[in-house]
Amino acid sequence: MANGANHKLSRTLQRREDATGYLFMLPSLIFFVGFVIIPMFICIFMSLTNANMHASKEVSFIGLQNFVKLAKDKEFLAALKNTFIIVLVSVPVVCLFSLWVASVIYNYNGFALSAFRCIFYLPVVTGSVAVTAVWKWMYDNYSGIFNIVLKETGIIEKNINWLGNSDYALWCIILILLTTSVGQPIVLYVSALGNVDQTLVEAAKVDGATDTQVFWRIKWAQMMPTTLYILVITTINSFQCFALIQLLTKGGAGTNTVMYYIYYTAFKLTEQTGHFGYANAMGVVLAIFIGLLSAVQFKLAQEK
Amino acid sequence: MKHTKKILALVLALSMVFTLCAFAQADGVEPAKEITLWTYPIGNWGNEATVNELMSAFEADTGIHVTVEYLDYTNGDDKVNSALTAGEGPDLIMEGPERLVANWGANGYMVDISDLFDDTDKAELIPATLAACTHTSGAIYEYPVVMTAHCMAINKNAFEQADALQYLDLENHTWTTENFFKAVQALYDTFGDTVAAVFCAGQGGDQGTRALINNLYGGTFTNAEHTAYTWDDPKNVQAISELLAADGIAFDASLQGGDEIAKFYQGVLKMAFCWNIAQQLNPNTANGPAEKTATGDDIVFMSFPSETGESSLQGGIWGFGIFDNGDEARIAAAKQFIKYFCDSEHTADAVKAANYFACRDTAEGTDLSGVWADNAIMNEYTKLMPYLGDYYQVTTGWAACRTAWWNMLQKVGEGADIEATIAEYMAQANEAAAG
Repeated sequence: MANGANHKLSRTLQRREDATGYLFMLPSLIFFVGFVIIPMFICIFMSLTNANMHASKEVSFIGLQNFVKLAKDKEFLAALKNTFIIVLVSVPVVCLFSLWVASVIYNYNGFALSAFRCIFYLPVVTGSVAVTAVWKWMYDNYSGIFNIVLKETGIIEKNINWLGNSDYALWCIILILLTTSVGQPIVLYVSALGNVDQTLVEAAKVDGATDTQVFWRIKWAQMMPTTLYILVITTINSFQCFALIQLLTKGGAGTNTVMYYIYYTAFKLTEQTGHFGYANAMGVVLAIFIGLLSAVQFKLAQEK
Repeated sequence: MKHTKKILALVLALSMVFTLCAFAQADGVEPAKEITLWTYPIGNWGNEATVNELMSAFEADTGIHVTVEYLDYTNGDDKVNSALTAGEGPDLIMEGPERLVANWGANGYMVDISDLFDDTDKAELIPATLAACTHTSGAIYEYPVVMTAHCMAINKNAFEQADALQYLDLENHTWTTENFFKAVQALYDTFGDTVAAVFCAGQGGDQGTRALINNLYGGTFTNAEHTAYTWDDPKNVQAISELLAADGIAFDASLQGGDEIAKFYQGVLKMAFCWNIAQQLNPNTANGPAEKTATGDDIVFMSFPSETGESSLQGGIWGFGIFDNGDEARIAAAKQFIKYFCDSEHTADAVKAANYFACRDTAEGTDLSGVWADNAIMNEYTKLMPYLGDYYQVTTGWAACRTAWWNMLQKVGEGADIEATIAEYMAQANEAAAG
């Protein structure tokens, strides 16, 4: 009898705790539903229509026509290819470079460590417009510092049009992306290194493990959750590369990306029939690719 | 006599009041007391201090407060389009017919302001400007207020150094295609680097590259009816081929019009294809001396080179349009604003603020022909006005066409087959033109 009453009490308490928990979640849940879930469904719905910005033009359901058109759209396919190049280059480079930097600066004393963390984090907290403006000046075809240095040292004879030549432009953008992407992973890796179980490290050393073995067999394994987070975040950010393209090349010189093409189709091609629907279809395709790649990353990390 | 004067004064006063009332309530609607204006940087219509003065004067005279928002050419269209999508467009907008008529007007966002034009207005306005502001349906979506001819500019000191002044007709500001290429060669021989850029990083200032290519051998950009794009004109192909072959000219996909002006102003480039009177008065909008580069070299404006020397210049027309927000009171106030700045003694102030030329000689009895009488540079610039060409920017699909144009220039600049590339991108533009 007493047990039954206790059980009932604990269930009541549980319900109260649950309710309190949900109430705490409610504000962010409202935002999440309002600004993520609902727009996501609107995006999926609109991708199946010929919607455009002009209310006067009738919107009708056109099934998968936008997706069929996408599969044949040379501009979109080129943008998709560029987006994958950015992802495939920047994700591993960001991950490896930040891991290397973090493992090196982790051994420094407090002040030096903080200084390096600040330096690498600076491009992240600086506005992307300001960072891009400086890079644009450095890449300048006529008076940029890269051309001046390379010419003065005799490496090149004629100026290179870094942002105007499709042989270089995409790589120049990837370089900027790398500098603005490594800050957060470095800070995260430094923090993850601090959380590595030192008893395991010491035990491995006692057993005769080398520094490399300790790093890859002990530390790396314990940093896997951090690595997974960095991989997923960097992948998403790379897929959604937009500001750099908008500010530097407007998608020209072979630098068009899916994100920029979505923006361009939605807000520049306003005279084109069904441009909103078409842009939404691109958004859906992009989301599918991001979801797939993130799922693969999760799976691989779990297996590890 | 005393009574006669009193009666006369009373009649005059009453007629003034009556006129003002009739003016304010032309449609029987009490105008709103607050409206919004979004303006692109058309001369000093992008300058807050200048616009504030104009708006204060308007408010003092009419009691209508105007809240102004300033747009730029990089993101202005996005802002307007987003606002229209959300149903939150401004009451008034200041720009050209390519946006107000061919885009927003054609898509049903603008108010037909035909009722603002009486026979006198139609007679006073330059016919081409009114025609450009009139939609094919007959509706008028823009009240033109200022205009100019876009041109190019040269660095006179650099030309002197290269002994290339001989190729220019400085008296008339014209030159021939043959002399243009001779001048380019002379400059290249002297400076050994890029002297002029066919900029193609984006659509900014693209009227310059269009005018250059069209004028060199007399090619066209659209058909006469403004229903299709005609870039594949063999004369355009020839022009692009010659430009590509010329030493000293680069098809530069890292520059837009504004960047090109900056490079010209810095003295890096010796010619600018993106130029007009506003630049001549205030080069690079740097508030430095008029007609001078940053290094103090003289800037001379020139028409684009053509085989005969007589070119067809791209016109710029700017004025006001009203977005249909469904509020008659706001529309009435916006119409009052337009009449005030486009068709009254205050038009001169609107014209002066824009740094361009008036679209009419008189406005409600006010002579506008002498607005710039005291400005030697403006007077000299009038030599180019007879060369104003077809205002083809009202062709449907204009936004898509502009993107296709600079993409095409990038491709041919990188060595793609000229005819095939033009055909490919022109087809994209024509697809947009077909709707």
